[in-house]
Amino acid sequence: MTTAPTSTTQSKTMDYFAIFGLPRKLWIEMSTLEQKFLQMSWKLHPDNFVNASEEERDLSLKRSSELNDAYRTLRDPVGRVEYLLGIEGARKEGEHKQQAPPELLEEVFELNESLDELREAKAAGNDLAALKSRLEVAEKNFQQKLGEVDAQLQTVAREWDTALQADSGTRKKIMAKLNELLNRRSYIRNLVANVQKELL
Amino acid sequence: MGRIVGIDLGTTNSLVAYLDPQTGQPKCIPGPYGSALCPSVVSLDADGTIVVGEAARRRLLTQPERTIYSVKRLMGRGPADVQDELKLFPFRIDPSSKNVIRVKLGGKVFTPPEISAFILRELKNWAEAHFGETVDRAVITVPAHFNDAQRQATKDAGKIAGLEVLRLVNEPTAAALAYGLHEKQRGKVAVYDLGGGTFDISVLKLISTSDGDIYQVLSTNGDTHLGGDDIDNLLQAFVHELILHDDEIDFSPHGELAQELRKALIDVKHQLSETETATLRFALPNGKVFVHEVTRGALEALIRPVVDRTMGPVKQALADAHLKPTDMDEVVLVGGATRTPLIRRTVQEFFGRQPHIELNPDEVVALGAAVQASILDQGVKTMLLLDVTPLSLGIETYGGAVAKIIPRNSTIPASAQELYTTGVDNQTGIDIHVLQGERELAKDCRSLARFTLRVPPAPAGLPRIEVKFLIDANGILQVAAKDLRTGDQHSIEVQPSYGINDSEIERMLEESIEYAEQDFAERQVIEARTESESILAATAKALANPQSAALSAEERAKIEASVSALRESVAGSDYKLIRKRIDELNHATEHLAELLMNSAVSTALEGRKLAEV
Repeated sequence: MTTAPTSTTQSKTMDYFAIFGLPRKLWIEMSTLEQKFLQMSWKLHPDNFVNASEEERDLSLKRSSELNDAYRTLRDPVGRVEYLLGIEGARKEGEHKQQAPPELLEEVFELNESLDELREAKAAGNDLAALKSRLEVAEKNFQQKLGEVDAQLQTVAREWDTALQADSGTRKKIMAKLNELLNRRSYIRNLVANVQKELL
Repeated sequence: MGRIVGIDLGTTNSLVAYLDPQTGQPKCIPGPYGSALCPSVVSLDADGTIVVGEAARRRLLTQPERTIYSVKRLMGRGPADVQDELKLFPFRIDPSSKNVIRVKLGGKVFTPPEISAFILRELKNWAEAHFGETVDRAVITVPAHFNDAQRQATKDAGKIAGLEVLRLVNEPTAAALAYGLHEKQRGKVAVYDLGGGTFDISVLKLISTSDGDIYQVLSTNGDTHLGGDDIDNLLQAFVHELILHDDEIDFSPHGELAQELRKALIDVKHQLSETETATLRFALPNGKVFVHEVTRGALEALIRPVVDRTMGPVKQALADAHLKPTDMDEVVLVGGATRTPLIRRTVQEFFGRQPHIELNPDEVVALGAAVQASILDQGVKTMLLLDVTPLSLGIETYGGAVAKIIPRNSTIPASAQELYTTGVDNQTGIDIHVLQGERELAKDCRSLARFTLRVPPAPAGLPRIEVKFLIDANGILQVAAKDLRTGDQHSIEVQPSYGINDSEIERMLEESIEYAEQDFAERQVIEARTESESILAATAKALANPQSAALSAEERAKIEASVSALRESVAGSDYKLIRKRIDELNHATEHLAELLMNSAVSTALEGRKLAEV
């Protein structure tokens, strides 16, 4: 029996922001982050410790992998939000992952219908051109929605950055907003990925 | 500690190189035939002697059943993975092979790492002959797209050959390092590496920092079963067809005739890189000579599918790096197959710039490996490689799906933690299945390892086991588990799905020494022992000389102590220790030598050591 992990959140013992000496802000200057990453890589990379003691080699492996994990996560604007919510204990994935957000219900329904038609047409060997172009339009539409969600995420991220010193109630509210946007984003992304798979 | 070298363990040819301290430039070491290319061919003589390289390549024609080439294609793979290869390559897989492939060579069976180890040992011998010193450590290159099992198999081959593998470096990264040192390049670089059996594309960023130069790999992609061999197979199939049609002669891939034809075709292929037409002449067993004129155009039409297959990975690598073809500042061609004009044209058109071919495409990977070897050896570095993992690491979840925990193109070392618990009361084990690949279902990914976490009996959901998956700087997976309730660290014995275990490697190492000609270290021990015999004899003789009476009691005691220390060291097999003791005895007998010399006939002996008197 293979058991799924109970949680995919990162270990709580280290904080990716702290590794780079950064506050838990969502806006990060990318070139500064890269410079720090390269500087620290130069010091921590296992190449420096090939002839060192086993303890030192282990420590270098641990710290350089943490550095790389941290850089990978913080470099990605969405990954960054997800990570922040994780360490703040505010990340809750949608309980019904497969359920569409209410305001998208109608469009999702249409999209799924088109997808079914395409699959049937494929199986029957029918002409796909018309169906494909319809799906391409739908894909564009959802891509645009993805862009909107990303823009909203940015706005709320700025809100978070200015509320860093605010009371816990305010912060919790912002985090809940971020959480909801992440859930919506992942739902739309899955949708787009499904369409792209069928269009290949 | 002995010397360190860089080794390119290739599908078709292998090379060994080192960094020349005088020039600061890497250099390949030539073998007994004068060439730095060691054909990756191994042959087993009837008397049990192993022959490697050019001599073995010649035997492909005379003793094909005792000879194997392109064994890199079998590294880290299971018998079920290689069925397609068997149609095209004369591998004789032992039918008893279960998880680990065993290949028949003459009357014996070997695993692919053992056969690769014969090649590595040959290169080790070349280097030792060149330096006159032991070589015991190496940086070995692997295709960037090699998975965990293939990397592990390469590392095992190094161990079996008696080499400590300090690092596995990705071939295109090594090439970039060699070019960077050569040309002082900066900016974004694409490395297109088509070797004998593998294709890699890597996108790098070369950054100058105040500490030194950093070679950061942004993305990599490729196909570990696509290379010059495939071009040869296409040619071979094409010509077989022609000959079959005309003369009804069958070529089984195992036969001598097929090998002979393959060699003739490779010569024609090479010639067509230089000229527009070439003629294939081939003597058939029925006494006829098959003659066929081949134009470059015909060859290109035939091999275009292979070239086209490389472009998918190229596009994916660029997409993963979020770059366009025109964003590249430099493009580098690596691997013998990139001498093909069609490939040069295709790459040039795609990137819109002239690719670099200044460094020998056969040697450049080994040269880069030598640079990295010297960086690791010295500890003082002037450059740093930041490489990536080519494939996503995942774990199987419910329903056979895969949860990706470390995405492809993550800078290594990279890690991920997962928290596990039990599903039923008093469950004592949690099964974990680790996979590598981009597909969504476990059955479509490469199985790396399966293991069971041991859990003390407890109510369901109470245990909290944190499992840490770590990909090290070699691209090899390590797993550790921690019980968060007790703080206990579990050490997990991860048995690779297609690997060989440590005790098997030990046994293979012992056996490989038997096969190999006398080891360099062994020769050193023998030489050191011979030398100590003569110095011990000379000392005894000198002490018997009446002149030695002039020695102080202290001096005499020191000589005697040194003599017994040397005798003791000779009983062991540490030639360095023996040499040290010889030096000590020489030092202790300096006054004695002087006394003898003063009394002796010739003042011309002055300043010479006792053993030489």
